[in-house]
Amino acid sequence: MSEWVRVFRQGLSIENPLTVLMIGLCATLAVSTQFQNALFMGLAVIFVMMMSNVLVSAFRNFIPSQVRIPIFIVVIASFVTIVDLVMKAYVPSVYSVLGIWIPLIVVNCAILGRAEAFAYQNKVGLSIADGLGMGMGYMMVIVLLAFIRELLGTGKIVWFESTLLSLPAGYAPPSLLLLFPGAFLVFAFMIVGARWINERFEARKEGPACRV
Amino acid sequence: MNSALRLVIPVLVTCVVAAAGLSVTYSVTEPMIAEQDRLAEERSLQAVLPDARFTCLESTRIQDDVDAAAGSVDVLDTFYGMKDGVHAGWALKVSSRGYGGPMVIVIGLDTSGSVTGVTILSHNETPGLGTKVITETGFLEQFSGLGSGFDDGDVRSLDAVSGSTKSSNGVRNAVAGAGRVFAEVLGELDVSGLEGGSQ
Repeated sequence: MSEWVRVFRQGLSIENPLTVLMIGLCATLAVSTQFQNALFMGLAVIFVMMMSNVLVSAFRNFIPSQVRIPIFIVVIASFVTIVDLVMKAYVPSVYSVLGIWIPLIVVNCAILGRAEAFAYQNKVGLSIADGLGMGMGYMMVIVLLAFIRELLGTGKIVWFESTLLSLPAGYAPPSLLLLFPGAFLVFAFMIVGARWINERFEARKEGPACRV
Repeated sequence: MNSALRLVIPVLVTCVVAAAGLSVTYSVTEPMIAEQDRLAEERSLQAVLPDARFTCLESTRIQDDVDAAAGSVDVLDTFYGMKDGVHAGWALKVSSRGYGGPMVIVIGLDTSGSVTGVTILSHNETPGLGTKVITETGFLEQFSGLGSGFDDGDVRSLDAVSGSTKSSNGVRNAVAGAGRVFAEVLGELDVSGLEGGSQ
C-alpha cells in the first residue's frame, strides 16, 4: 500500500507530467485560457490515462513488444473517442470550445508515455496509482494555470455563463495573458513554484528530484 | 508464419474490441448529440426571429443562386419563418472564417430584408478575446439596425470589437453575405408558393 501511495504522489509532485516531465504541453498551453475548460480537459485526461493504464497493464503479458505502440494507440484512441462523444452529448457548451483538443488527447505524449514507461512494466494496482496520480497532477497544473490566466487576463472567472469571481472594476486586463506568450510566461512561473515546493517538501523523503 | 501470427492476432483482437466498444458508445450518444445540435439550432433561430416557425428551404436551384450571391462565405441552410400562417422572414445559417476557423452564424432577416438579429451558433475563437464578439454588449445588437436594402459598405461601417478584429470581421462578412443573398435571391423569390408547404 505504501508503494501505491508513493507512485500516486510522484505523479502529483516530483514526476508531475507538466511541471517536471514537461510532456503533453501543447494542448495544456492552448486550452488553459478558461478555468471551466481546463477542468473538463483535466477530467478527460484523468479518465483516459486511468483507463489506458489499466488495460495496458492488465494485458501487458499478451502484448508483444514489437507491436505495443499500435496497440497502445488503439486503446488510447478508443477512450478518447468515448470521452469525445460523451462530452458532445452532455456538455455541448464545453465541447464547442475544447473542440479539436479532445481528439488530440490521443497524441498527448503524457498518456502514451505512461502506458509505455509505467503500465507496460507494472501491475494493475500500481498502474492505477500512476494513472490517477499523473492525471491529477496534470489537472492540478492545467486548472491553476487556467485560473491565473483567466482571472488576470479577463478580470473574472466564468463558470457556465455565471461569474464566480471578479477583480475590482478599475482593473484593465492585459490580453497578452490569454494569448500563447502569456501561457508560456505563467507556466514558467509555475515551473519555478513547483521546483521550490518539490525541493522543500518532497526531495528529502524521496531522494533526488530528477529521475527521468 | 507462426511468429507473424503472434504479432497480428493481438493487434486484430485489440481493434475488434475497440470497434465494438466504440459502436456501443456511439449508438448510445448519437441521438443525444443530434438532439443537442437541434436544440442549439432552434435556440438561435428563435433568437433572431422570435415566435416564428422555421422550415428549411430545400431547393437545389435556389441553393446555387444563394451560393453565387454569398461570395466568400458559405450559406449552410436557408430557413423561412412563418408567424400565424404569414411569412415573417428568413434565417440564414452562414459559415464564415474567424480567427480560429469557421464560425457558424445565424442571421435573421424580415420580409423587407432588414436584419432582425444575429447569433453565433458555433465557433472556435480564442476564449476571452475572440469570444468578445459574443459577450461585448452592443456588438451583435448593432446589426439589427441594418435596414432594408443594406449593402456591404453599411456593414463595414459598423464597429468591430477591439482585440478581436478577425472574429468581428467573420461576423461582419457573414451579415454582408446574408444581405447579398437577400438582395439577389430571397427578395425576388415568390413566397406565396412556399407558404403552402410550411406547416
